[in-house]
Amino acid sequence: MNQWLDERLHISRLNDKFLRKAFPVHHSFFLGEITLFSLIVLILTGILLALSYEPSNTLVVNSFDPGTGDKPNLIPAAYHSALKINAMPFGDMLRRTHHWMANIMIAASVIHMMRIYFTGAFKKPREINWWIGMLLLIFAALTAVTGYILPYDNYAYQTAGVVYAITKSVPWVGDWLAQAAFAGQFPGAGIIPRIYGYHIMLLPGILLAATGAHMLLMIKQKHTQPQYAKRIAYKKIVGVPLLTQQTPIMLTLTLLFTGIVLLFGAFIPVHPVEYFGPPSSTPISNIKPDWYLLWVFGALAIIPAFDFELLGGTIGAEFVGAMVFPGIVVGLMFAVPMLDRAKENNYYAENPTNHPVRLGAGVAFMAFMLMLSLAGYKPDLIAAGVLTSANANTILWILVFAVPALTYFAVLGIVRMIRALREADEREAAAHSQQALSADD
Amino acid sequence: MTRYKRQDPELTRRKFINAAMGGAAAVGGISLISTLGAAKPAFRLTPQLAPPLAGDIIVHSDPSRYGEPVKVSDLSEQLVRAWPAFKDEGGKLVVRDQDPTSVLAVYRFPKGQIVEPTNLEATIDGEIVAYGDRCTHAGCNVEDNKQQPGLMNCPCHSGQYDPKQGCKVIGGPPPHPLPQLPIKLEGEQLVVTGFFMSVPYGYSKEEDWKRYTEQVQEALS
Repeated sequence: MNQWLDERLHISRLNDKFLRKAFPVHHSFFLGEITLFSLIVLILTGILLALSYEPSNTLVVNSFDPGTGDKPNLIPAAYHSALKINAMPFGDMLRRTHHWMANIMIAASVIHMMRIYFTGAFKKPREINWWIGMLLLIFAALTAVTGYILPYDNYAYQTAGVVYAITKSVPWVGDWLAQAAFAGQFPGAGIIPRIYGYHIMLLPGILLAATGAHMLLMIKQKHTQPQYAKRIAYKKIVGVPLLTQQTPIMLTLTLLFTGIVLLFGAFIPVHPVEYFGPPSSTPISNIKPDWYLLWVFGALAIIPAFDFELLGGTIGAEFVGAMVFPGIVVGLMFAVPMLDRAKENNYYAENPTNHPVRLGAGVAFMAFMLMLSLAGYKPDLIAAGVLTSANANTILWILVFAVPALTYFAVLGIVRMIRALREADEREAAAHSQQALSADD
Repeated sequence: MTRYKRQDPELTRRKFINAAMGGAAAVGGISLISTLGAAKPAFRLTPQLAPPLAGDIIVHSDPSRYGEPVKVSDLSEQLVRAWPAFKDEGGKLVVRDQDPTSVLAVYRFPKGQIVEPTNLEATIDGEIVAYGDRCTHAGCNVEDNKQQPGLMNCPCHSGQYDPKQGCKVIGGPPPHPLPQLPIKLEGEQLVVTGFFMSVPYGYSKEEDWKRYTEQVQEALS
């Protein structure tokens, strides 16, 4: 049968080209795989959810609490279907698993990117894959945001309002753009069908296509080799083949990981739609985006109010805080491979302590994001009495810039210490081997 | 080496294919863009979408008392959230609750506490005052500040307003004060006497808001 298939499908060529792909043996190389498995589980749970979800914001009678004949309890159909999904067997768990998996996919991809950055794996020839990875991160965040809006509870409604306001804040074309993206002025009659289209067709399509490109490039360019490969066989690809060695490891990892997330879904409640209730004009206190967008939220919370006119368009704090500023941050991340001017191809994962400036800049960047996320807790900090509304902005602004600067120099200091210790070790080892040699004589 | 360069009067195959591909891409691109026109639906003003208008009564927005007229005795230094509403020809109450910009915050402060820049003539006896309750920053509903009673706090990005001083911005990112709505007392009911007196959320300039109110008047006349 093998021969029959081979004559038609050239299995042996597929085998040589793809199925024998060598995977480096190191746990940090599993992070990208976890991201991929999360995407697959997200698509599977998403399909199951889509089967029971009703993408419409038309008002229907709440079948769980119908009200009275002359005063029926009307709620949006999308919200009603979310309640129904919760009521079906394992429905709540399915929703929570989808939610948790989305969080874990972004977390895994962020840690995956940290591994790539700190070991210099973004260097020539892998710049293109770094850029595709950045696009994946951005589109994953957009998919998550559109997914937030779909249950159309009060939380989703208030979130959608803010996303609409951010789109609208673009100078010159904002009004048109927001209305085109959200099917009319917020909350338009067609907002849920529109967002549904984005969340289940457009964005997953983009994610899948970009993931495919990401993996094909990775197979073409090969993984960066871990340091041990340099010692075993210099300039040779070292690792275990996809079939049949890596596959069982991958399957074990997927099953174990999916099992853990299912346990999360079963026992840790997340986004309780019943608690938030249907869309209303009552605000939700402590409304916050998910952790990966908290830094943008923090920037919006501490940016002072301003707006000015430029060539007939209004440029305001909202546009600068939610578009220009994240644009600069994401632009910096895009530019990372261009900051490296090496002409040679990079084969081996580098030891971060051999590149203290890159390491320091990376840790400082993370501190910057953490401080901005802390600024997102401004109202809570004021409520807890840690800050007052008079000094909160000043203190948070100082933290946003001072902590990364301190972190940068602290990292440089620690690296210097590590290297001094390492050199001392080497000198000592050399001295001992000298002694051993002379003793032998 | 000869300096002779062959002059080919005819179109080469490469040139033809390049031009054909360019032309096809341009036509395809433009037609794709034209379909984007369908993405933005037309805006049609319905009574429920209209902003608060002169003659509207003010009714509760809270689900438990939805549609009940707001009475003076309901009001205090705690925010009361409300919608404008009117009786249609059949005498049925129509609440203008389709445009979130129309949601209102109504307060009653002891006499003398409400000061400029509040328009005192648009309040009831300098005691009861109504504002649009949509933050001018990102359009969230603004609530009471729980730490400092008598002030307002937006839960989204910490915008702060003082309803005793024309809802001017006293903290956070909002670009404008909340718009004041002129009201009067008619018997037991609070009645709207005109449009919002400054720009509500969604309009960046006074002219835009003026133009919209003119459009509304035209559509209703």
